[in-house]
Amino acid sequence: MLRIVSVLAALVSIVGAAIAHHGWGSYDAAKPVTIVGPILTSKFENPHATITVRGSDKVWTVTLAPTSRMVSRGATEKVVAVGQNISAYGYPSTVEKDEMRAERITVDGKTFEMR
Amino acid sequence: MIDGAPAVFVALEQSDFASAIRRSVWLYPAANVGHIIFLFLFAAALGVMDVRLLGGLAATDPARLLARARAFAIVALAGMVLSGLMLFSAEAGHLALNPVFQLKLTLIAAGGVNIALYEFMARPEVQRLAPGIPMPARARLAGLLSLLIWIAVAACGRSIAYF
Repeated sequence: MLRIVSVLAALVSIVGAAIAHHGWGSYDAAKPVTIVGPILTSKFENPHATITVRGSDKVWTVTLAPTSRMVSRGATEKVVAVGQNISAYGYPSTVEKDEMRAERITVDGKTFEMR
Repeated sequence: MIDGAPAVFVALEQSDFASAIRRSVWLYPAANVGHIIFLFLFAAALGVMDVRLLGGLAATDPARLLARARAFAIVALAGMVLSGLMLFSAEAGHLALNPVFQLKLTLIAAGGVNIALYEFMARPEVQRLAPGIPMPARARLAGLLSLLIWIAVAACGRSIAYF
């Protein structure tokens, strides 16, 4: 019986770990960047909304949040539409070139938290 | 992100079906939650079966217990495949190139081979076993492999997002 309980406990703990969501592990929080510029493309899609922004140095791919979270915080599809000027503070990817994950974005003087 | 992915997966990712999953606010999260719920059910049923094969729950009739747990496992596995297909479609090109996803599929195939080997080489004997009689070594091995393989599948599944 004890053996069964310990096996099941191990299985349950794996399921528990699986409930935690997508991490920030592949982004370098020690080197935060702020990208300011117009939005060139916008995909308001799951698992994460993504936009490209013409920054001062290059075009960045900016990974935002799941769309349900974006909407609930007021950062709707219109807010991150093509042509909007955006300021995105976040961390560069250690895997994908020219990609960053936004901690927060500011559009039209309004700041939206993405985490 | 999908440069170099096989065309079939790129086409799947660009299909209306995949697009609808990405565009919906709730479909992707629902598939995600469903995947975990079915995983929970599958792990529970699998745990009962593997523990029985490893010699636990020895007082029960193995044929009856395994048949009952198997029914749950089949339903749960079907649910995981369906929800998994939805999650996969949304990012098919990207995932097809993901080394952890490839490892996960390989492990699922290994889990299937383990089931097939058990069916042909151990199950006929297990079916005739009375309660309390020790499991044959082949059945114990299948149970142990099953436990290890499916735990590794779950670990890979959770790790996909980090590679």
